[in-house]
Amino acid sequence: MITYQKFQLDNGLTVIHHYDNSTQICALNLLYKVGSRNEDPEKTGFAHLFEHLMFGGSKNVSEFDTELQMAGGESNAFTSNDITNYYVTLPANNIETGFWLDSDRMLSLDFNQKSLDVQKNVVIEEFKERYLNQPYGDVWLKILPLAYKTHPYNWPTIGKKIEHIEAADLDQVQSFFFNYYAPNNAILVIAGNITFEDCQRLANKWFGDIPKRDTIIRKYEQEPTQLEPRKEDVYNDVPLDMLVKAYHMGGRLDPDYYACDLLSDILGSGKSARFYNRLVKEKRLFSELDTYISGDVDPGLFLIEGKLIKGVTFEQAEAAIMEELDFLKSHHIEENELTKVINKTETNILFGDISVLNRAMKLAFAEFLGDSELVNTEIDHYLSVTPETLLETAKSMFNESNCSTLYYHAKK
Amino acid sequence: MSLTRTIRPEFHQVDRLYFPDYHIIDISFGLKLYSLEAGTLPVCRLELVFDAGLAKQVKIAQASFTSSMLSEGTQNKTALALAESLDFYGSYFQTRSNADDCVATLYCLDKHLKNCLPLFLEALTDSIFPQKELDIQKKNAIQKLVVNEKKNSYLCRKLYYKNIYGEGHPYASFSEKRDIESLSREDLSSFYSKNILGGLKYALLSGKFSKASQTLILEQIKQAGFTSVTNPGVSMPITTKSGQHFFEKKDSVQSAIRIGKVSISRNHGDFRKLQFLNLIFGGYFGSRLMKNIREDKGLTYGIYSVLEPLKDASNWYIDSEINNKNREQGITEIYKELDNIRRVEIPEEELNTARNYYLGSFLRGLDGPFSLADRLKIMIDYKLPNNYYPEFVATLNNTTSQDLLETANKYFDPNNIVEVIIGKK
Repeated sequence: MITYQKFQLDNGLTVIHHYDNSTQICALNLLYKVGSRNEDPEKTGFAHLFEHLMFGGSKNVSEFDTELQMAGGESNAFTSNDITNYYVTLPANNIETGFWLDSDRMLSLDFNQKSLDVQKNVVIEEFKERYLNQPYGDVWLKILPLAYKTHPYNWPTIGKKIEHIEAADLDQVQSFFFNYYAPNNAILVIAGNITFEDCQRLANKWFGDIPKRDTIIRKYEQEPTQLEPRKEDVYNDVPLDMLVKAYHMGGRLDPDYYACDLLSDILGSGKSARFYNRLVKEKRLFSELDTYISGDVDPGLFLIEGKLIKGVTFEQAEAAIMEELDFLKSHHIEENELTKVINKTETNILFGDISVLNRAMKLAFAEFLGDSELVNTEIDHYLSVTPETLLETAKSMFNESNCSTLYYHAKK
Repeated sequence: MSLTRTIRPEFHQVDRLYFPDYHIIDISFGLKLYSLEAGTLPVCRLELVFDAGLAKQVKIAQASFTSSMLSEGTQNKTALALAESLDFYGSYFQTRSNADDCVATLYCLDKHLKNCLPLFLEALTDSIFPQKELDIQKKNAIQKLVVNEKKNSYLCRKLYYKNIYGEGHPYASFSEKRDIESLSREDLSSFYSKNILGGLKYALLSGKFSKASQTLILEQIKQAGFTSVTNPGVSMPITTKSGQHFFEKKDSVQSAIRIGKVSISRNHGDFRKLQFLNLIFGGYFGSRLMKNIREDKGLTYGIYSVLEPLKDASNWYIDSEINNKNREQGITEIYKELDNIRRVEIPEEELNTARNYYLGSFLRGLDGPFSLADRLKIMIDYKLPNNYYPEFVATLNNTTSQDLLETANKYFDPNNIVEVIIGKK
C-alpha cells in the first residue's frame, strides 16, 4: 500500500507527498503534461529535444547538473508520447536543492543559442545511434506511420526525421516553454524521508510564486477505426527476416487495457508462454518472438515481433501466429494459466515498488491519468479480468482489418 | 520577503554511510549463507554463486550455455513443466554467466518461496541438458550472434577484449558460430558436474523474508548435495596488443570507439582513488569527457569511461559512438583530456562536486535490499572488510588533487593503450 497526501498550490501545481522513513534518500519527480503527441506534425521530435534543453541552464542557475551533483544528487528525464518526466534523487536532507533547481527551470529557462545548437547535435547523434546505426533500429519509424494515419502517435518521440530536429529554433523553444512548462500543467511528487510539513513548506517557498500560465493544449484528431488490413515490405541490410504485427487496442484507461496486458503475457512473457513453446520451440519458426503493449494514454498498440529462423517464409510464420490468435479467440483460457499471469503481475508490481523513485514516478503518472489511487488499485483491475473478458477482448482485437503488418526482409 | 534564487540553498555533505548488519550462517561444512534483511516489501532474492566463470571453460561457450540451460529440464521435469511451475508462483529464475563466476537467482514473493525453492534447486542439481533443447538453444544463439555481428558496438567490444587480454585469454572469450555448432551435451554435462554441482561458493539471501523461509533455504540447500570449491584457478598470462586496431564497416553512420588498458585489482591500495579519478574523468554526467565531448561540442550522444574490476586482471576503458566525420576530432579530444588530467591538478571546486556526487551515489547504492546485496557480493568476492563502504567517506575526504594527479600518472599513462575503432574509413 502506497500512502500519500495531495494538495494544490494557488498557481495550479499539483503536489503529492509520499513518506518513507526507511530510506535515507528523497526523490523529486516533476511530470509535465506534454509529449510527442502534442507536437506539430511538421516539427516532430521537439518535446524530446526540449527535454535535453532543460539541462542547459535556467534563469538563475547556469549549471543544473553541477549544482545537483554538488549536493550529492543525480537526475535524468524521459519523453514519451504523452508526457515529459524529470526526476532527481538526493540525500534526504538536501532535497531543498532539488526544489530550488526544478522550480528555477519551471520559472524560466536560459534560452541560449549555444545550448540549442549543441543539444540538436546530441539528439541527432542519438537518432543515428539508436535508429539508424542498429540492425532493425528503424522498425518504429516504419510501423507507426502504417498503424496510425491521423493520430500523432504516427511518429516516434525522437521525431520523424533528422531534418525536423535540425530546423528547431529559439522562438519555437520559447513558445513551447511558456505554453507547456507551466505549474498548472505539471505534477510534482516528493517521495522519501521528508515530512509532509517540510514538503508543503518547500513546495510553497520554491514553486509558489511561479505564475500560472495560459496553457493551450494542441488539439489533434483521434485515430479513426481501421477498416482493412495494412501491409508493408521493407528491405534492409539485416541478417534475418523479421515480422511485426501491430493491432489497435484501447487506451490506458479503457476497460480492455488490463485484459490486453494479460493477453500479451499469456502469449509472450517467459519460458512458459504460448508463443515460445509452440512457435519458437515446437514448430521452430522463430528464434525470438515477443509481445508487448505500447501502454499509451490514447488508444495504443498490441505488438507481436519476431525474428524468423533462416529458411522459414513470412507466410508460414504469419500463419502460425494467426493460428495461435485464433485459438485464443475460440477457447477460454484455463483458470491455471490466468492465475499464473496474474501472479506474475503481482510480483512485477511489488518488485517495481521497491525503489522510492519508482513509487514517485508511478504516483505522478497515475495522477496524470486522473486517478492517483491507481497506484494501489492496479492489481485489483488485473484480478477482475476473467476468461470471458480475455476471450471477448481477443475476439475484437485480433482481426486482420485491425492490424498493420511489416515484413522486414533481410536484403540478399 | 522575496525569494533569492541566485544563491544555492544550504546543503550537507554525506558524512556517514551505513551498511546494515547481515548474518553469515553455516549451511554445511565450509558452505555459507549470507543473509541480509532489508526493505519493507515482502519480496526476496536468493542467489547461488558458482565458481563457473570463463576461466573454468575448456571450450568456448561452455560456461554461458551451461548456465543458460540450467532451467531446460531435469530427470523428472521438462523445460516447460519447470517454467510453468516457476511462473505459476510468479517467480523469476535467472542465470548470469560472468567472467569470474556464474550466478543463479530466484526472485519471488516471500509467501511463494516454499513452493519455488524446491523447483529452483531441482533445476540446479538435476539438470540433464536434453539434446532437443540444446539444438534449439544453439540455433537461436547463432541467430542472435549474426545480429550482434552487425552491431559496431558489439564488434568493438569483442576486438577490444581480444587485444587487451590476448586471443586465448578467458576474458577475451567470444563465441563464433563454429564454437556454438560444436558444443555437445557432454561439454555441458562435464562443465556442470565440475563447476556447478562441484562449484558452489556461497548463497546470498536478501529482501524482507520470514524466519521460516530462511530456515527452509538452509535445510534445502544442505540437502541439495552441492559440494563447494577448494581449488583456486590458475591465472592466464596477458598478452596485450597495444596501438590502434581499425576494422572497416563501410555502411556505418557512426564509429564505435573503445580505448583502454589493463588496470589494477580491487584489492590494490590505489583502487579506490583510481575509481574516484575515473569518475571525474568519464564516470558520470558531470565528468570531463561528457562535458567536453557531448555537452560542449555535441559530438556524441554518450561518452564514458569505466574501470572494470575483474579477478585476474582489471581493465579501464573509454567508450563512445561518434559520427564518422567527427571521429578524429573526438579521439583527439579524448587524448587531450587524458594528457590534461595527467599534467594539471584537478581544481578544488571540481573535486568537491565529484566527491559530493560520489558520496550521494553511495547513499543511493546502499538503499534497498537488492542494491545492498549487490554490494555485499563484492565484499564477499574480494574479501573486503565490513567497513569497506562506510570507510569510503574518509577515503574520499582525504584524497587530494595532488593524490589524483599521481594516480593519473600511474594508471592513465598512454603506454600500452589499446585503441579499437569500428567504422567507415
